[in-house]
Amino acid sequence: MSASVSPIRNPLVTGNKSYHDITEDICSPTERTPTPAWVLTFILAVAGLALYVFCVGWTIYVGIGSWNLNRTIGWGWDITNFVWWVGIGHAGTLISAILLLFRQKWRTGVNRAAEAMTIFAVMCAGQFPLIHMGRLWLGFFIFPYPNTRGPLWVNFNSPLLWDVFAITTYFTVSLLFWYTGLVPDFATVRDRAKGVRRRLYNFLSFGWTGSAKHWQRWESLSLILAGLATPLVLSVHTIVSFDFATSVIPGWHTTIFPPYFVAGAIFSGFAMVQTLMLITRKVLNLQDYITLEHIESMNKVILATGTIVGVAYLTELFIAWYSGYIYEQFAFYNRVLGPYYWSYIGMMSCNVLSPQIFWWRKLRRNVMVTFVMSIFVNIGMWFERFVIIATTLARDYLPSSWSYYTPTWVEIGLFIGTLGLFGTLFMLFTRLAPVVAIAEIKSILKDGGDQYVGPEVARKKAAETTEAH
Amino acid sequence: MNQFTFAARQKTVLIGFMVLGLLCLGITFMTDDQFHTRFWTNYLHNSVFFTGIAFMALFIISAFTTAWGGWFVNMKRVWEAFSSFMIPGLLLMLLVVIGLWGHFHHLYHWSDADEVAKDSIMAGKAGFLNKNWYTFGTIIIMGIWIFFYQRIRTLSLAEDREGKGIADGYRHHKLIRIWTAAFLPIAGFSSAAIIWQWVMSLDAHWYSTLFAWYTGASWFVAAMALTIMLLIYLKGQGYFQSLTADHFHDLGKFLFGFSIFWTYLWFSQFMLIWYANVGEETVYFQERMQNYPVLFYANLALNFILPFFLLMRNDNKRKYGPMFMASLFVFFGHWLDFFLMIKPGARHTAMEAMHHADGAHAGEAAHHAVEFAMGFTIPGLLEIGTMLGFLAGFLYVVLNTLTKAPLSPANDPYIGEATHHHVWPYID
Repeated sequence: MSASVSPIRNPLVTGNKSYHDITEDICSPTERTPTPAWVLTFILAVAGLALYVFCVGWTIYVGIGSWNLNRTIGWGWDITNFVWWVGIGHAGTLISAILLLFRQKWRTGVNRAAEAMTIFAVMCAGQFPLIHMGRLWLGFFIFPYPNTRGPLWVNFNSPLLWDVFAITTYFTVSLLFWYTGLVPDFATVRDRAKGVRRRLYNFLSFGWTGSAKHWQRWESLSLILAGLATPLVLSVHTIVSFDFATSVIPGWHTTIFPPYFVAGAIFSGFAMVQTLMLITRKVLNLQDYITLEHIESMNKVILATGTIVGVAYLTELFIAWYSGYIYEQFAFYNRVLGPYYWSYIGMMSCNVLSPQIFWWRKLRRNVMVTFVMSIFVNIGMWFERFVIIATTLARDYLPSSWSYYTPTWVEIGLFIGTLGLFGTLFMLFTRLAPVVAIAEIKSILKDGGDQYVGPEVARKKAAETTEAH
Repeated sequence: MNQFTFAARQKTVLIGFMVLGLLCLGITFMTDDQFHTRFWTNYLHNSVFFTGIAFMALFIISAFTTAWGGWFVNMKRVWEAFSSFMIPGLLLMLLVVIGLWGHFHHLYHWSDADEVAKDSIMAGKAGFLNKNWYTFGTIIIMGIWIFFYQRIRTLSLAEDREGKGIADGYRHHKLIRIWTAAFLPIAGFSSAAIIWQWVMSLDAHWYSTLFAWYTGASWFVAAMALTIMLLIYLKGQGYFQSLTADHFHDLGKFLFGFSIFWTYLWFSQFMLIWYANVGEETVYFQERMQNYPVLFYANLALNFILPFFLLMRNDNKRKYGPMFMASLFVFFGHWLDFFLMIKPGARHTAMEAMHHADGAHAGEAAHHAVEFAMGFTIPGLLEIGTMLGFLAGFLYVVLNTLTKAPLSPANDPYIGEATHHHVWPYID
């Protein structure tokens, strides 16, 4: 029944699984009492969330003065964190949408968690522009609707406003896409549940019965949402890059920003997926579904996007020299050798140099190395945004107003706090929903199960045919 | 029919078009201004365009192979044949290099030492924009590309002859995978460097960090479009019978997707420059919007609006008519895109040079610079004829390379996947 699969492709589901095994393995974490490891991590995450709530409260009570921003450096950790989180929020929809369009079967192992990660990361990102307003309760001013505020009207010429639309649209489509995938899986959980849980999952699964018509519509809807999400993935980070690139600030105003931000976002998003999935597969015992094959594929994407980002960094440096424009030249001189040189080193070494170890297959398939690298990349991508924002602002046109910026405990607390928010949501997700898409794994079992495909099977078959002759 | 035979009639037709191309180039040369600006810009335009398509074909093979793509392998010989044009492409570009040293043309403003001495911006760029870099950049970078082409092609042919499939662990394919993966970053860095030299430096003062990626995307779409048209033709001739509507569907998706990607890059570059409104940058688009309005908008219509609507529907990607139409528009559209990248800057340079050559008519020359001129503000018949000549030359090389190997790579590990390729939800 299965389609033709090349003998050099490695299996994507190991352990000789049957359809029933898949249901058992993936549903059971939602059905058992939480393990101590889960409880401990959850407490830690909630503590982070508490820190976040406290720091937001402090910021609002004391005012933005509790941050170390000054008239020269008007954007610091806040916007760095915002861009960092939005970037992370990219891989989820990328894995799901673009890899679905490209028919990449390995997406099935990680798409669910990646999409969840997207949604939580975008939620974290959305916090920062809001708290940066200082008067959080006036946050609704960002929506353009008929009002009595007279000239206090949103500025449609500003990319900051485009961000509002881009990110809310992206969030909505990502959520729909994620939920669409969850519906058949919630039904599977429902069919195994009793009592209140059964009622809950019955509600969540929208009365899914698994009829042919349901599947047909589900497939069409997934494809349409994937088609919509693909340009959205690009648009969100493009518009985030416009926040900088539409200005006339040397170091910000450069045309390569849109595609290079998108590449960087995919890069950091995949790194975050690796960080999360390497732990999740171990804790929930999902090594048969998130195999070394998956990890290797993601490492290849990390290597590719890391190198693309590297091409962009060097292009920027080169063109700054080539432009013959002294302010542009100074901005980049300052970036590399100025007071924030250490963040440039951090960015270059974590984003461009260190992923090059993934040219070696052994290292791509090494779980420990991958984990350390994924943390490196996340640090590097945070530094990239810091380099772009703080380094550039610190040395503006007027040397008399040059400045240096270090965050206060509140700003650091806010960043760590969003990690808590993110962690809390992700931990809840691992309890409530199947972290691997059951239905999608089943759909690739015949083309990806280790009892059906792979070099081993091919070699065995070849041996059998020779014997028969 | 697994072996392509280059029919005498095909040869005659292609040679006929090549003669037409040469004739057009000759006529252009005879009727040109004292610097033969129209001749040289046409020559550069087509050389860069077709050489770039050849390079992109190798890039496509490399990217698809690295991504473990299986569906395309029964058409990979066509891309191998496309890349073989890099060798004549290098020869074509060498003529531009010779012209640079011999002062036969005034294509590049920076090649004029007197001008550079007077101009602090160009003097600042002289470390990169100089004849040595142009020469060695062209030879070394294209040399590396050709080297990779030779390696990948040799292995691909060896796999056909000696490959033992699973028994030798697909030895050749694994080697191809290493070469193609290594080619990707090299192609990424080197194509940018060469695009800055060949194309961006025509507007010697202007710069844009996105320019290399934009130009690369233009090459990519043109290469896809030409692939689709050639495959439709060859299939009509009875070759490539294992290619089905499903393969064309996927090629159509690439044409569609990358047309949008090209538009995305076009928009990013244009919008950021328009928005910031810095004179040094806007001058590039100002020149094109004021003096080349037809081409400026036709570029977007042909390369975005038409393929977008033509290829939006799934079933259109599975029909030869709409696919051929869309490819034709897009191919010509990207040829125009390169026209628009190359002509204005080179013309400006030539005008200034003329201005110096006969100072008395300075005002007149400046006046001509903004006036409508066949062959500059819009392609004339001579440009079309030249393009057809280059296209015929390209196809001659491609078809000639196709004769040298079986069309289907029998021992490729993915040949089974490619033969049984299906695009959901079509199961015909």
